[in-house]
Amino acid sequence: MNLDLSHIELNSISKRYKTALIDSLSNVSFQIKSGDKVGFLGPNGAGKTTLISILCGLIEPTTGTVGYHAKDGAQITGVDLKKILGFVPQDHAFYHELTPMQNLAYFGSLYNLSRQEIKTRSHSLLSVLGILDVANQKINTFSGGMKRKVNLAIGLIHRPKILFLDEPTVGVDVQSKLSIIKFLNEINSKGTTIIYSSHHLSEAEDFCSQIVMIDKGSLMAHGATSELIELHKVKNLQTLFIKLTESK
Amino acid sequence: MMIKLIASLKKEALLLLSDKVGLIVMFIMPILLVFVMTIIQDSAYKMVNENKISLLISNQDNGEQGDKLVQLLDESGLFDLAEISISEPNELKQVLLEDNKLTALYIPENFSSELLNKADQISRTMTFELGLIDEKPANTSVQLSSLNFYTDPVLQENYSYSIIRVISSLLNTIENELMIGSIYSEVGIEHSPDNFKEQIKSNQVVINQIPATNSEKMGQPNSTQHNVPAWTIFAIFFMVVALGSNIVKERINGSFLRLKTMPTNYIHILSSKMLVFLVVASLQFLVIFSIGIFIFPLINLPQLVLPSSSMAFIATTFICSLAAVSYAIMIGALAKTQEQSNGIGAISIIIFAALGGIWVPTFVMPEYLKIISELSPMHWCLEGFYILFLKDGSWGELSSVFGFLLLFTAFCQIITYLKLKFEKIL
Repeated sequence: MNLDLSHIELNSISKRYKTALIDSLSNVSFQIKSGDKVGFLGPNGAGKTTLISILCGLIEPTTGTVGYHAKDGAQITGVDLKKILGFVPQDHAFYHELTPMQNLAYFGSLYNLSRQEIKTRSHSLLSVLGILDVANQKINTFSGGMKRKVNLAIGLIHRPKILFLDEPTVGVDVQSKLSIIKFLNEINSKGTTIIYSSHHLSEAEDFCSQIVMIDKGSLMAHGATSELIELHKVKNLQTLFIKLTESK
Repeated sequence: MMIKLIASLKKEALLLLSDKVGLIVMFIMPILLVFVMTIIQDSAYKMVNENKISLLISNQDNGEQGDKLVQLLDESGLFDLAEISISEPNELKQVLLEDNKLTALYIPENFSSELLNKADQISRTMTFELGLIDEKPANTSVQLSSLNFYTDPVLQENYSYSIIRVISSLLNTIENELMIGSIYSEVGIEHSPDNFKEQIKSNQVVINQIPATNSEKMGQPNSTQHNVPAWTIFAIFFMVVALGSNIVKERINGSFLRLKTMPTNYIHILSSKMLVFLVVASLQFLVIFSIGIFIFPLINLPQLVLPSSSMAFIATTFICSLAAVSYAIMIGALAKTQEQSNGIGAISIIIFAALGGIWVPTFVMPEYLKIISELSPMHWCLEGFYILFLKDGSWGELSSVFGFLLLFTAFCQIITYLKLKFEKIL
């Protein structure tokens, strides 16, 4: 099967958790093209993580559909979708008692990568992210920034075509943040579609080609970053966000 | 599939090796327990069977029988006697407490005379009934005064009863001897023959203690045969602390979510955990049993004797390990936090152990508790090992053990499956 992604389509996605009184997401629809760098922006509790979780298949929407369309028109689903999808959760989702190399070896093997492939890719990833020198040290001695980098490297070990990042720069120092953003730009230039959530609007403005702005579960704006700023006649995303939430 | 399984096994092994506290709980704690419990129980056995019991005696008897009782107590070889002259029984109690003796016996002043009176009356009645004398004896009853036996309150009740039974047995010998002497006297023979008295003393029936085992190899049950399997079972179930928290940690730190987005199935991740911890349980058996076989004889403890049927032994070890691992996985799946997993896991294991007869044998429990104890998987594990280690039993005798443990394992696995299914992890 051809696993070359054409676009991701969200149709009228709504989500209400079992005990909640209101929707976490309400009737959200938009498209993401292959190769985009998309930022899901909004304040804490806006519904960004819920949206990423639905796109990754971690939770089911209450209503609506998500479709991953290949270039040949077919839908990519199930194990095929999992093979091309990379997920970097907000939490440090790995084994802190192990080393970065041991973690990468484990997660890489779940994609059926050979030992040699894992070794080469791990070396390359850790080197680019600047943590190769601590590759064989236990992670529980690492700083927050180093842990974020390990988290990111694990999500990339299988060279995914779509990478989801949930708040990848939270709690990270400026240097680490810059090196992560630089690295994400590099892999995007090689064809990886990046979808990331953040509440740092200035960071997103610099990084993202497309913006999906959400507040209280509703889609407030969607489009190219520069076009949105121009259309709403504002200086930056921050003022756009304030304008949109005030008018709402 | 194999790559994933091998990688998961390796990951679990590395996580386990990095969990120093878990390893201590799983290996060092049971080794210490086995040593301490076996030494204590072995000392208790030696105290009863090899050491003498300290007995303080105040013999206030005016006749010969008090001295005879003291002589018989001494000849029994069970007591370390210390005679003291105290006329008031209550004073003897005080001396017992002050001198740190375990037991004391007060023989009253009219002990001999009352025994003789009683013997005379019985022999007179007997000879009259047999027609050897014509004069009917008066129908008066002779009240024997009692011996006072004092015990230190720390002495266990069953231990005191055993000593009382020994003293009663010696008193019976004296009473019989007096009665025979009295019968001889009634029929006009002044002295009963000495060899007759000796025969009364020596012709006691010997009771041979023979354990009902299927093989001569097992010998007498001892503290090692009881304690080594019991505390090893306790140890393998205590892996709930390490394995339960391993699963909870994976669920709450986000690794679980990440795994859900990967082309893998949580069943094979759980399978790898099971396999690794089954190996751990086997190692626990190997280490602790090896200590019983090779180290215990070096410190004067009885050597562990393995059962004749190696296959039945291996199968029992496996089924017990499987039950323990399944229980730990169920606790890991049900608990929401590591604290819950550790707390519920550890407390439930202690309750299972108490009910299962690890600490106190189930046969001493009240009937309702015996029924409840059958719900403890440890009871069945222990039953299985007792069949093998104490009775050298066969496969047939193990069928109920295997039946319950397989049911218990299936129950834990189904609950785990339903919980993970409910959480959409599977």
